[in-house]
Amino acid sequence: MDDRLLAHGIGGAKDLPIPLELAIAGAVAALVVSFTVLAIAWRKPRYDADTSGRPAPAWLDRLTASTPWRVWWRAFGMAALLYVGWAAVAGEDTLINPFLGVFYVLVWVGIVPLSVLFGPVWKAISPSRTINLLLAKVSGSSPGEGLYTYPARLGYWPAVVGLFAFVWLELVYPSSTEVGPVRLWCAVYLGIMLLGGAMFGDRFFAHADPFEVYSTLAGKLSVWGSRDGRLLIRSPLANLDTVKALPGLVGVVAVLFGSTAFDSFADSTPWVQFIQSSSIDTTVLNNLALLAFCVAVGAILAIATMVTGVGKGVRRSTLPDLFAHSVVPIIVGYIVAHYLAYLVEYGQTTIIQLSDPLSRGDNYLGTADLSVNRWLSYHPSFLARLKVLAVVAGHVLGVIAAHDRRSGCCRPSTS
Amino acid sequence: MIRTTPARSRGLVTLVLTAALGLGAAGCGGDAEPAGTDESTSSTPTSLASESPSESAGSPTETPTPEAQVIDIMITGDQVVPNGERVEAKAGEELILRITSDAPGEIHVHSTPEQVLPHAAGTTEVPLTIDQPGVVEVESHELHLVIVQLEVR
Repeated sequence: MDDRLLAHGIGGAKDLPIPLELAIAGAVAALVVSFTVLAIAWRKPRYDADTSGRPAPAWLDRLTASTPWRVWWRAFGMAALLYVGWAAVAGEDTLINPFLGVFYVLVWVGIVPLSVLFGPVWKAISPSRTINLLLAKVSGSSPGEGLYTYPARLGYWPAVVGLFAFVWLELVYPSSTEVGPVRLWCAVYLGIMLLGGAMFGDRFFAHADPFEVYSTLAGKLSVWGSRDGRLLIRSPLANLDTVKALPGLVGVVAVLFGSTAFDSFADSTPWVQFIQSSSIDTTVLNNLALLAFCVAVGAILAIATMVTGVGKGVRRSTLPDLFAHSVVPIIVGYIVAHYLAYLVEYGQTTIIQLSDPLSRGDNYLGTADLSVNRWLSYHPSFLARLKVLAVVAGHVLGVIAAHDRRSGCCRPSTS
Repeated sequence: MIRTTPARSRGLVTLVLTAALGLGAAGCGGDAEPAGTDESTSSTPTSLASESPSESAGSPTETPTPEAQVIDIMITGDQVVPNGERVEAKAGEELILRITSDAPGEIHVHSTPEQVLPHAAGTTEVPLTIDQPGVVEVESHELHLVIVQLEVR
């Protein structure tokens, strides 16, 4: 029966709702901590990208800058692409095909904790970057050079489109758990990346690859930074302050945050009952709701930042992107809350499935006989507390980041 | 205004952060335990579930009917009743889906692992046991409609 395709998302049971009193306690804690911290400690900006952080140990700097290190991770990324691509092309269209778990769980969810721990990991393993690099080597050009210069005013907007395309596939598209459509999505994604790389050089990936933009943003909450080519160790908040406020950053956080909120909302009883009683097609309604959530988050953020007082020489229209970085810790907090059990348990399932890419009982990686540890699911009140803690910490860090940015750049001259 | 040195205030921040978060978590811990459980009286749901499901209280094997929770389901035309409601259920305990349908079909239970329950036309009583806590959608496969979301604790 496990081999059968059940047309409804992957991962089976979802987490229990957070008890109301726990949610209230969390909200109170977030408010109290935010105000206390800001009132006591944050009277002046603390973070300056030019001076913050201290150099990482020399051996670590040498290791991470070395060619074998970089080649190893590029090779890992390419090997993973080929192996999983093989499962996607030659494997069977069932839920035990590891392609789906790798795509939705290990990559999309796993990218967040990995980036928070190790920095911008996708950039290091990105197959599109690697292929672009190889093509440049073959043709004798530089991977940084394309036919055109990447237009600065596009900023992160191409990544906003890519991220929305992903969350649409995951949360709205009815056949999101069938191998064929997901494989097509990946093929189109890779095609666009390679085309963009050829046209604009590898600057394109930093602005348009949805996975790289997501990973690099989450990586700003790590302790790893760099300045003038040297590896730095920084506090995550100082690191977060180095996010460049390019056009479209507000769109990136709006899609990431809005889609997570939609995912929770879509399981709520009122919404389920509404779409099941409505004469309008379910998919249409879900499409509209996903879009509405993302637009609403972006609009609220834009309006809220633009109505604040500004100092001389700061244009109001720049404020949404200037403050969007402060939503990143909140996104990470909600991702932890929303996906932790899913990542831990479906992640294990995926690693087990990876041994059998063609669904015929192979054990290539030696993981086929492992079993999934479901401790987290069997301890729902521990899980609920962990989730509240993640969300509260995300909010507090977000408030601090926004406050520091405001006291640094935009304080009205009267205060 | 009290002016604090950066180093001192940074220590303060850490202190306040840890204290308040710890307090928040501890405070929640206190009331969370009795709140979420309406039926299980003495033992906490976590410890109960983490032991073996077989030793769950009661005697489901001997007399399933008087104690088992029954969920009445009506499937007529392209409509289901209940329509996506939340229903509380207990992990590891058998419940009965009493399905009245005008056509044979399949109920998909999106538990971990997933379960498929076929039913005939007319009234069918289908037993269902879910071991792993969580929110589980019970769906009519033919109509693609969620009948109930079980909150399994």
